[in-house]
Amino acid sequence: MFALRGIAISLSFFWFTYCLFSALTASSWQFLHRVRTIPPRVSATFLFAARILPLSVSIAVTLALTVPSFILLEPRGTDEGIGVAPIVFSAFCVTLFAVCFMRAIYAQTDTQEVISQWLRGARTLSLSEAVPAFQLAGTVPPLTLAGLRRPRLFVSEGALSVLSPDELTVAVKHEVAHMRVHDNFKKLILRLAWFPGMGELDKAWQRAAELRADQEAVSSAREALDLAAALIKLSRQPRNESLPTVSMGLVRDAFVTVRVGRLLNWEETDLRSRWKLPSLLLCGAVLLSIIAVAYGPLLQETHAIAEWLVR
Amino acid sequence: MNKSIPYAWVSGTLLGPLEQQLLDELWSRGSATVRELLRDQTIKLAYTTVMTTMDRLYKKGLLDRIEEGRAYRYFPRQTRDEARRIAAVESIRQLMGSDDSSSLPLSYLVEALSEHDERLLDELQKLVDRKRRELKKRDQS
Repeated sequence: MFALRGIAISLSFFWFTYCLFSALTASSWQFLHRVRTIPPRVSATFLFAARILPLSVSIAVTLALTVPSFILLEPRGTDEGIGVAPIVFSAFCVTLFAVCFMRAIYAQTDTQEVISQWLRGARTLSLSEAVPAFQLAGTVPPLTLAGLRRPRLFVSEGALSVLSPDELTVAVKHEVAHMRVHDNFKKLILRLAWFPGMGELDKAWQRAAELRADQEAVSSAREALDLAAALIKLSRQPRNESLPTVSMGLVRDAFVTVRVGRLLNWEETDLRSRWKLPSLLLCGAVLLSIIAVAYGPLLQETHAIAEWLVR
Repeated sequence: MNKSIPYAWVSGTLLGPLEQQLLDELWSRGSATVRELLRDQTIKLAYTTVMTTMDRLYKKGLLDRIEEGRAYRYFPRQTRDEARRIAAVESIRQLMGSDDSSSLPLSYLVEALSEHDERLLDELQKLVDRKRRELKKRDQS
Protein backbone atom coordinates (compact mmCIF):
# COMPACT_ATOMS: atom_id res chain seq x y z
CA MET A 1 0.00 0.00 0.00
CA PHE A 2 2.89 2.36 0.81
CA ALA A 3 4.37 1.94 -2.66
CA LEU A 4 1.00 2.27 -4.38
CA ARG A 5 0.23 5.44 -2.44
CA GLY A 6 3.64 6.81 -3.39
CA ILE A 7 3.09 6.05 -7.08
CA ALA A 8 -0.43 7.56 -7.06
CA ILE A 9 0.77 10.74 -5.36
CA SER A 10 3.76 11.08 -7.69
CA LEU A 11 1.57 10.66 -10.78
CA SER A 12 -0.95 13.16 -9.39
CA PHE A 13 1.78 15.72 -8.82
CA PHE A 14 3.14 15.11 -12.32
CA TRP A 15 -0.29 15.51 -13.92
CA PHE A 16 -1.14 18.63 -11.98
CA THR A 17 2.24 20.31 -12.63
CA TYR A 18 2.16 19.36 -16.31
CA CYS A 19 -1.34 20.75 -16.86
CA LEU A 20 -0.64 23.93 -14.89
CA PHE A 21 2.61 24.74 -16.68
CA SER A 22 1.24 23.73 -20.09
CA ALA A 23 -1.75 26.05 -19.65
CA LEU A 24 0.55 28.87 -18.49
CA THR A 25 2.95 28.33 -21.40
CA ALA A 26 0.20 28.04 -24.02
CA SER A 27 -1.36 31.30 -22.85
CA SER A 28 1.74 33.37 -22.21
CA TRP A 29 4.47 32.47 -24.73
CA GLN A 30 3.15 34.93 -27.34
CA PHE A 31 3.73 37.87 -25.02
CA LEU A 32 7.31 36.80 -24.47
CA HIS A 33 7.82 36.11 -28.17
CA ARG A 34 6.90 39.68 -29.00
CA VAL A 35 10.39 40.66 -27.91
CA ARG A 36 11.49 40.67 -31.53
CA THR A 37 15.06 41.75 -31.08
CA ILE A 38 15.93 38.13 -30.36
CA PRO A 39 18.11 36.65 -33.13
CA PRO A 40 16.84 33.38 -34.71
CA ARG A 41 19.42 31.23 -32.94
CA VAL A 42 18.28 32.39 -29.52
CA SER A 43 14.64 32.55 -30.55
CA ALA A 44 14.59 28.89 -31.64
CA THR A 45 16.25 27.79 -28.41
CA PHE A 46 13.97 29.95 -26.32
CA LEU A 47 10.79 28.72 -28.02
CA PHE A 48 11.83 25.10 -27.71
CA ALA A 49 12.72 25.62 -24.04
CA ALA A 50 9.33 27.26 -23.46
CA ARG A 51 7.60 24.39 -25.25
CA ILE A 52 9.23 21.67 -23.16
CA LEU A 53 9.13 23.67 -19.93
CA PRO A 54 5.94 21.92 -18.68
CA LEU A 55 7.44 18.47 -19.26
CA SER A 56 10.79 19.43 -17.71
CA VAL A 57 9.22 21.07 -14.68
CA SER A 58 6.83 18.13 -14.15
CA ILE A 59 9.67 15.61 -14.29
CA ALA A 60 11.81 17.76 -11.98
CA VAL A 61 9.02 18.30 -9.45
CA THR A 62 8.12 14.61 -9.44
CA LEU A 63 11.64 13.21 -9.21
CA ALA A 64 13.28 15.90 -7.10
CA LEU A 65 10.44 16.78 -4.73
CA THR A 66 7.45 14.44 -4.73
CA VAL A 67 9.25 11.10 -4.62
CA PRO A 68 11.95 12.13 -2.07
CA SER A 69 9.42 13.90 0.17
CA PHE A 70 7.23 10.80 0.18
CA ILE A 71 10.11 8.40 0.88
CA LEU A 72 11.71 10.59 3.57
CA LEU A 73 8.69 12.03 5.35
CA GLU A 74 5.86 9.52 4.96
CA PRO A 75 5.60 7.06 7.89
CA ARG A 76 5.72 3.48 6.61
CA GLY A 77 3.85 1.67 9.36
CA THR A 78 0.43 3.31 8.92
CA ASP A 79 -2.53 1.62 7.18
CA GLU A 80 -3.51 4.85 5.42
CA GLY A 81 -5.43 4.37 2.13
CA ILE A 82 -4.51 5.87 -1.23
CA GLY A 83 -7.39 8.35 -1.30
CA VAL A 84 -9.87 9.14 -4.06
CA ALA A 85 -8.14 12.28 -5.40
CA PRO A 86 -4.73 10.59 -6.02
CA ILE A 87 -6.47 7.65 -7.75
CA VAL A 88 -8.44 9.96 -10.05
CA PHE A 89 -5.47 12.24 -10.82
CA SER A 90 -3.11 9.33 -11.42
CA ALA A 91 -5.68 7.83 -13.83
CA PHE A 92 -5.63 11.17 -15.72
CA CYS A 93 -1.86 11.07 -15.70
CA VAL A 94 -1.72 7.51 -17.07
CA THR A 95 -4.15 8.52 -19.83
CA LEU A 96 -1.95 11.53 -20.63
CA PHE A 97 1.12 9.29 -20.79
CA ALA A 98 -0.71 6.88 -23.10
CA VAL A 99 -1.79 9.67 -25.47
CA CYS A 100 1.66 11.27 -25.54
CA PHE A 101 3.54 8.03 -26.08
CA MET A 102 1.12 6.89 -28.78
CA ARG A 103 1.66 10.17 -30.62
CA ALA A 104 5.43 9.85 -30.40
CA ILE A 105 5.42 6.17 -31.39
CA TYR A 106 3.10 6.85 -34.31
CA ALA A 107 5.30 9.73 -35.52
CA GLN A 108 8.41 7.60 -35.34
CA THR A 109 6.94 4.51 -37.01
CA ASP A 110 5.29 6.63 -39.71
CA THR A 111 8.62 8.32 -40.42
CA GLN A 112 10.44 4.99 -40.54
CA GLU A 113 7.89 3.63 -42.98
CA VAL A 114 8.20 6.65 -45.27
CA ILE A 115 12.00 6.48 -45.14
CA SER A 116 11.96 2.76 -46.03
CA GLN A 117 9.61 3.54 -48.89
CA TRP A 118 11.84 6.34 -50.13
CA LEU A 119 14.99 4.24 -49.81
CA ARG A 120 13.53 1.64 -52.13
CA GLY A 121 14.71 2.75 -55.53
CA ALA A 122 16.70 5.72 -54.15
CA ARG A 123 20.16 6.39 -55.52
CA THR A 124 23.09 7.28 -53.23
CA LEU A 125 24.51 10.79 -53.63
CA SER A 126 27.75 12.23 -52.31
CA LEU A 127 26.66 15.71 -51.31
CA SER A 128 27.98 16.06 -47.79
CA GLU A 129 30.29 14.18 -45.45
CA ALA A 130 28.02 15.01 -42.55
CA VAL A 131 24.91 13.18 -43.71
CA PRO A 132 24.14 10.29 -46.11
CA ALA A 133 22.21 11.62 -49.09
CA PHE A 134 19.86 9.91 -51.51
CA GLN A 135 18.24 10.90 -54.76
CA LEU A 136 14.53 10.28 -55.16
CA ALA A 137 12.78 9.96 -58.46
CA GLY A 138 10.28 12.71 -59.32
CA THR A 139 9.88 16.15 -57.82
CA VAL A 140 8.60 15.59 -54.29
CA PRO A 141 9.85 16.06 -51.63
CA PRO A 142 12.46 18.49 -52.97
CA LEU A 143 14.94 18.38 -50.08
CA THR A 144 14.23 16.70 -46.77
CA LEU A 145 16.20 15.58 -43.77
CA ALA A 146 14.38 12.62 -42.28
CA GLY A 147 15.03 10.25 -39.43
CA LEU A 148 16.09 10.32 -35.84
CA ARG A 149 19.11 8.20 -34.98
CA ARG A 150 20.67 8.23 -38.43
CA PRO A 151 19.12 11.14 -40.31
CA ARG A 152 19.24 10.89 -44.06
CA LEU A 153 18.99 13.60 -46.65
CA PHE A 154 16.60 13.01 -49.52
CA VAL A 155 16.90 15.12 -52.64
CA SER A 156 14.43 14.85 -55.46
CA GLU A 157 15.40 14.49 -59.08
CA GLY A 158 13.48 17.73 -59.70
CA ALA A 159 15.53 19.62 -57.10
CA LEU A 160 18.80 18.34 -58.56
CA SER A 161 17.76 19.46 -62.01
CA VAL A 162 16.82 23.02 -61.06
CA LEU A 163 19.47 23.92 -58.49
CA SER A 164 22.93 25.11 -59.49
CA PRO A 165 25.87 23.39 -57.71
CA ASP A 166 26.33 26.39 -55.38
CA GLU A 167 22.62 26.53 -54.56
CA LEU A 168 22.54 22.82 -53.85
CA THR A 169 25.60 23.07 -51.60
CA VAL A 170 24.11 25.78 -49.42
CA ALA A 171 20.70 24.04 -49.37
CA VAL A 172 22.43 20.89 -48.09
CA LYS A 173 24.25 23.01 -45.49
CA HIS A 174 20.85 24.23 -44.33
CA GLU A 175 19.70 20.64 -43.75
CA VAL A 176 22.98 19.76 -42.05
CA ALA A 177 22.41 22.72 -39.73
CA HIS A 178 19.08 21.14 -38.74
CA MET A 179 20.88 17.87 -38.10
CA ARG A 180 23.60 19.48 -35.95
CA VAL A 181 21.04 20.86 -33.50
CA HIS A 182 18.94 17.67 -33.58
CA ASP A 183 15.80 19.37 -34.87
CA ASN A 184 14.19 16.06 -35.85
CA PHE A 185 14.66 14.78 -32.31
CA LYS A 186 13.16 18.00 -30.99
CA LYS A 187 10.14 17.50 -33.26
CA LEU A 188 9.62 14.09 -31.72
CA ILE A 189 9.88 15.58 -28.22
CA LEU A 190 7.19 18.09 -29.21
CA ARG A 191 4.96 15.21 -30.29
CA LEU A 192 5.61 13.55 -26.95
CA ALA A 193 4.99 16.65 -24.84
CA TRP A 194 1.44 17.02 -26.10
CA PHE A 195 -1.06 19.45 -24.66
CA PRO A 196 -4.06 21.18 -26.28
CA GLY A 197 -3.35 24.71 -27.49
CA MET A 198 0.37 24.22 -28.12
CA GLY A 199 0.04 24.12 -31.94
CA GLU A 200 0.93 27.77 -32.47
CA LEU A 201 3.99 27.52 -30.25
CA ASP A 202 5.09 24.44 -32.22
CA LYS A 203 4.72 26.38 -35.48
CA ALA A 204 6.61 29.36 -34.06
CA TRP A 205 9.45 27.07 -33.03
CA GLN A 206 9.53 25.44 -36.45
CA ARG A 207 9.77 28.82 -38.15
CA ALA A 208 12.52 29.95 -35.79
CA ALA A 209 14.34 26.65 -36.43
CA GLU A 210 14.17 27.29 -40.18
CA LEU A 211 15.55 30.81 -39.77
CA ARG A 212 18.31 29.50 -37.54
CA ALA A 213 19.23 26.79 -40.07
CA ASP A 214 19.32 29.47 -42.79
CA GLN A 215 21.61 31.56 -40.64
CA GLU A 216 23.88 28.62 -39.80
CA ALA A 217 24.10 27.56 -43.46
CA VAL A 218 25.14 30.95 -44.75
CA SER A 219 28.49 32.62 -44.16
CA SER A 220 28.58 35.21 -46.95
CA ALA A 221 26.23 37.40 -48.96
CA ARG A 222 26.82 35.15 -51.96
CA GLU A 223 25.73 32.06 -50.06
CA ALA A 224 22.70 33.94 -48.73
CA LEU A 225 21.64 34.68 -52.32
CA ASP A 226 22.28 31.07 -53.33
CA LEU A 227 20.04 29.82 -50.54
CA ALA A 228 17.37 32.41 -51.39
CA ALA A 229 17.48 31.29 -55.04
CA ALA A 230 17.25 27.64 -53.96
CA LEU A 231 14.19 28.40 -51.82
CA ILE A 232 12.48 30.19 -54.69
CA LYS A 233 13.24 27.44 -57.19
CA LEU A 234 12.08 24.69 -54.85
CA SER A 235 8.91 26.65 -54.03
CA ARG A 236 7.94 26.23 -57.67
CA GLN A 237 8.16 22.46 -57.39
CA PRO A 238 4.91 20.53 -56.97
CA ARG A 239 4.10 19.68 -53.37
CA ASN A 240 1.30 17.19 -53.22
CA GLU A 241 3.07 14.86 -50.82
CA SER A 242 3.06 15.38 -47.07
CA LEU A 243 6.35 14.92 -45.28
CA PRO A 244 6.88 12.43 -42.45
CA THR A 245 6.57 13.89 -38.95
CA VAL A 246 10.18 13.46 -37.88
CA SER A 247 11.68 15.41 -40.77
CA MET A 248 12.70 18.92 -41.79
CA GLY A 249 11.93 19.93 -45.38
CA LEU A 250 13.69 22.84 -47.06
CA VAL A 251 10.44 24.29 -48.41
CA ARG A 252 7.23 23.73 -46.51
CA ASP A 253 5.00 26.79 -46.39
CA ALA A 254 4.40 30.45 -47.18
CA PHE A 255 7.00 31.37 -44.58
CA VAL A 256 9.55 30.84 -47.33
CA THR A 257 8.96 34.44 -48.45
CA VAL A 258 10.07 35.77 -45.06
CA ARG A 259 13.14 33.61 -45.23
CA VAL A 260 14.00 34.86 -48.70
CA GLY A 261 13.49 38.42 -47.44
CA ARG A 262 15.93 37.87 -44.62
CA LEU A 263 18.47 36.22 -46.89
CA LEU A 264 18.28 39.11 -49.34
CA ASN A 265 19.17 41.43 -46.50
CA TRP A 266 21.87 39.22 -45.05
CA GLU A 267 24.77 41.09 -43.46
CA GLU A 268 28.04 40.14 -41.80
CA THR A 269 26.54 41.12 -38.46
CA ASP A 270 24.25 38.08 -38.71
CA LEU A 271 27.26 35.94 -37.91
CA ARG A 272 27.89 37.66 -34.61
CA SER A 273 24.82 36.72 -32.59
CA ARG A 274 26.15 34.01 -30.29
CA TRP A 275 25.06 32.69 -26.93
CA LYS A 276 27.08 34.05 -24.09
CA LEU A 277 28.07 30.89 -22.22
CA PRO A 278 29.39 32.54 -19.02
CA SER A 279 26.08 34.35 -18.43
CA LEU A 280 24.18 31.09 -18.94
CA LEU A 281 26.43 29.28 -16.49
CA LEU A 282 25.95 32.08 -13.98
CA CYS A 283 22.15 31.85 -14.28
CA GLY A 284 22.34 28.08 -13.81
CA ALA A 285 24.54 28.42 -10.75
CA VAL A 286 22.22 31.00 -9.17
CA LEU A 287 19.19 28.78 -9.83
CA LEU A 288 20.90 25.73 -8.34
CA SER A 289 21.94 27.73 -5.24
CA ILE A 290 18.36 28.89 -4.69
CA ILE A 291 17.08 25.33 -5.06
CA ALA A 292 19.76 24.02 -2.66
CA VAL A 293 18.83 26.56 0.02
CA ALA A 294 15.09 26.06 -0.37
CA TYR A 295 15.17 22.26 -0.83
CA GLY A 296 14.39 21.28 2.78
CA PRO A 297 11.34 23.56 3.17
CA LEU A 298 10.17 22.56 -0.32
CA LEU A 299 10.19 18.88 0.64
CA GLN A 300 8.12 19.68 3.75
CA GLU A 301 5.62 21.68 1.70
CA THR A 302 5.35 18.95 -0.94
CA HIS A 303 4.66 16.39 1.75
CA ALA A 304 2.04 18.62 3.32
CA ILE A 305 0.26 18.92 -0.06
CA ALA A 306 0.47 15.14 -0.51
CA GLU A 307 -1.10 14.62 2.92
CA TRP A 308 -3.88 17.04 2.04
CA LEU A 309 -4.42 15.23 -1.25
CA VAL A 310 -4.75 11.82 0.42
CA ARG A 311 -7.30 13.10 2.93
CA MET B 1 -2.18 31.83 -60.85
CA ASN B 2 -3.68 31.28 -57.48
CA LYS B 3 -5.83 34.27 -56.61
CA SER B 4 -6.53 33.45 -52.98
CA ILE B 5 -5.88 36.23 -50.49
CA PRO B 6 -3.79 35.69 -47.37
CA TYR B 7 -6.64 36.34 -44.99
CA ALA B 8 -4.23 35.90 -42.10
CA TRP B 9 -3.49 39.60 -42.18
CA VAL B 10 -7.13 40.58 -42.08
CA SER B 11 -8.06 38.53 -39.09
CA GLY B 12 -4.72 38.09 -37.42
CA THR B 13 -4.91 34.34 -37.94
CA LEU B 14 -4.42 32.19 -40.98
CA LEU B 15 -7.66 30.86 -42.38
CA GLY B 16 -8.05 27.18 -43.08
CA PRO B 17 -8.98 25.86 -46.55
CA LEU B 18 -12.66 25.50 -45.66
CA GLU B 19 -12.84 29.03 -44.25
CA GLN B 20 -11.22 30.37 -47.41
CA GLN B 21 -13.61 28.35 -49.58
CA LEU B 22 -16.67 29.66 -47.76
CA LEU B 23 -15.42 33.23 -47.85
CA ASP B 24 -14.79 32.88 -51.59
CA GLU B 25 -18.33 31.54 -52.04
CA LEU B 26 -19.76 34.52 -50.16
CA TRP B 27 -17.73 36.93 -52.24
CA SER B 28 -19.14 35.32 -55.38
CA ARG B 29 -22.73 35.30 -54.13
CA GLY B 30 -22.79 38.54 -52.13
CA SER B 31 -24.67 36.89 -49.26
CA ALA B 32 -25.98 33.45 -48.34
CA THR B 33 -27.44 31.30 -45.60
CA VAL B 34 -25.82 27.98 -44.72
CA ARG B 35 -28.64 26.14 -46.50
CA GLU B 36 -28.13 28.19 -49.67
CA LEU B 37 -24.42 27.41 -49.65
CA LEU B 38 -25.16 23.71 -49.45
CA ARG B 39 -28.03 23.70 -51.92
CA ASP B 40 -26.10 23.57 -55.21
CA GLN B 41 -23.76 20.83 -53.96
CA THR B 42 -20.52 22.73 -54.65
CA ILE B 43 -19.79 22.42 -50.94
CA LYS B 44 -20.24 18.81 -49.88
CA LEU B 45 -20.07 19.08 -46.14
CA ALA B 46 -22.36 18.57 -43.16
CA TYR B 47 -24.70 21.43 -42.33
CA THR B 48 -23.24 21.76 -38.83
CA THR B 49 -19.67 21.92 -40.19
CA VAL B 50 -20.53 24.81 -42.50
CA MET B 51 -22.59 26.51 -39.77
CA THR B 52 -19.71 26.28 -37.27
CA THR B 53 -17.20 27.57 -39.82
CA MET B 54 -19.44 30.51 -40.77
CA ASP B 55 -19.85 31.32 -37.10
CA ARG B 56 -16.08 31.25 -36.69
CA LEU B 57 -15.64 33.62 -39.64
CA TYR B 58 -18.23 35.91 -38.08
CA LYS B 59 -16.38 35.87 -34.76
CA LYS B 60 -13.12 36.62 -36.58
CA GLY B 61 -14.79 39.75 -37.91
CA LEU B 62 -14.77 38.71 -41.56
CA LEU B 63 -18.53 38.29 -41.91
CA ASP B 64 -21.66 40.16 -40.87
CA ARG B 65 -24.96 38.41 -40.33
CA ILE B 66 -28.66 39.11 -39.92
CA GLU B 67 -31.34 36.79 -38.63
CA GLU B 68 -33.52 35.29 -41.32
CA GLY B 69 -36.21 33.06 -39.87
CA ARG B 70 -34.43 30.53 -37.70
CA ALA B 71 -31.10 30.89 -39.51
CA TYR B 72 -28.59 33.64 -40.26
CA ARG B 73 -27.83 35.28 -43.56
CA TYR B 74 -24.10 36.00 -43.84
CA PHE B 75 -22.39 38.86 -45.72
CA PRO B 76 -18.67 39.43 -46.21
CA ARG B 77 -17.58 42.55 -44.30
CA GLN B 78 -15.17 43.55 -47.03
CA THR B 79 -15.13 43.04 -50.74
CA ARG B 80 -12.38 40.90 -52.18
CA ASP B 81 -10.40 44.02 -53.14
CA GLU B 82 -10.88 45.66 -49.74
CA ALA B 83 -9.66 42.49 -48.07
CA ARG B 84 -6.63 42.52 -50.36
CA ARG B 85 -5.92 46.13 -49.43
CA ILE B 86 -6.35 45.46 -45.70
CA ALA B 87 -4.07 42.44 -46.05
CA ALA B 88 -1.35 44.65 -47.52
CA VAL B 89 -1.78 47.36 -44.87
CA GLU B 90 -1.79 44.82 -42.05
CA SER B 91 1.31 43.21 -43.47
CA ILE B 92 3.14 46.54 -43.59
CA ARG B 93 1.97 47.37 -40.08
CA GLN B 94 3.36 44.07 -38.83
CA LEU B 95 6.61 44.64 -40.63
CA MET B 96 6.96 48.08 -39.05
CA GLY B 97 6.72 46.38 -35.68
CA SER B 98 9.33 43.78 -36.55
CA ASP B 99 12.92 43.77 -35.39
CA ASP B 100 14.39 45.24 -38.55
CA SER B 101 12.06 48.21 -38.94
CA SER B 102 15.00 50.61 -39.21
CA SER B 103 15.88 49.21 -42.62
CA LEU B 104 12.52 47.91 -43.79
CA PRO B 105 13.33 45.75 -46.79
CA LEU B 106 10.95 45.79 -49.71
CA SER B 107 11.17 42.06 -50.03
CA TYR B 108 9.51 41.61 -46.61
CA LEU B 109 6.28 42.86 -48.09
CA VAL B 110 5.99 39.66 -50.04
CA GLU B 111 4.97 37.92 -46.82
CA ALA B 112 1.50 39.26 -47.48
CA LEU B 113 1.12 37.24 -50.63
CA SER B 114 0.00 33.71 -51.26
CA GLU B 115 2.45 30.85 -51.05
CA HIS B 116 1.63 29.57 -54.49
CA ASP B 117 1.83 32.93 -56.16
CA GLU B 118 4.05 32.46 -59.16
CA ARG B 119 4.26 36.21 -59.69
CA LEU B 120 5.62 36.63 -56.20
CA LEU B 121 8.26 34.00 -56.88
CA ASP B 122 9.17 35.81 -60.10
CA GLU B 123 9.56 39.06 -58.17
CA LEU B 124 11.70 37.36 -55.56
CA GLN B 125 13.85 35.83 -58.27
CA LYS B 126 14.32 39.28 -59.81
CA LEU B 127 15.41 40.64 -56.42
CA VAL B 128 17.92 37.81 -56.05
CA ASP B 129 19.25 38.40 -59.57
CA ARG B 130 19.57 42.13 -58.92
CA LYS B 131 21.44 41.50 -55.66
CA ARG B 132 23.70 39.04 -57.46
CA ARG B 133 24.52 41.62 -60.11
CA GLU B 134 25.26 44.22 -57.42
CA LEU B 135 27.51 41.77 -55.64
CA LYS B 136 29.35 40.94 -58.84
CA LYS B 137 29.88 44.62 -59.62
CA ARG B 138 31.18 45.20 -56.10
CA ASP B 139 33.58 42.29 -56.44
CA GLN B 140 34.86 43.56 -59.79
CA SER B 141 35.42 47.16 -58.67
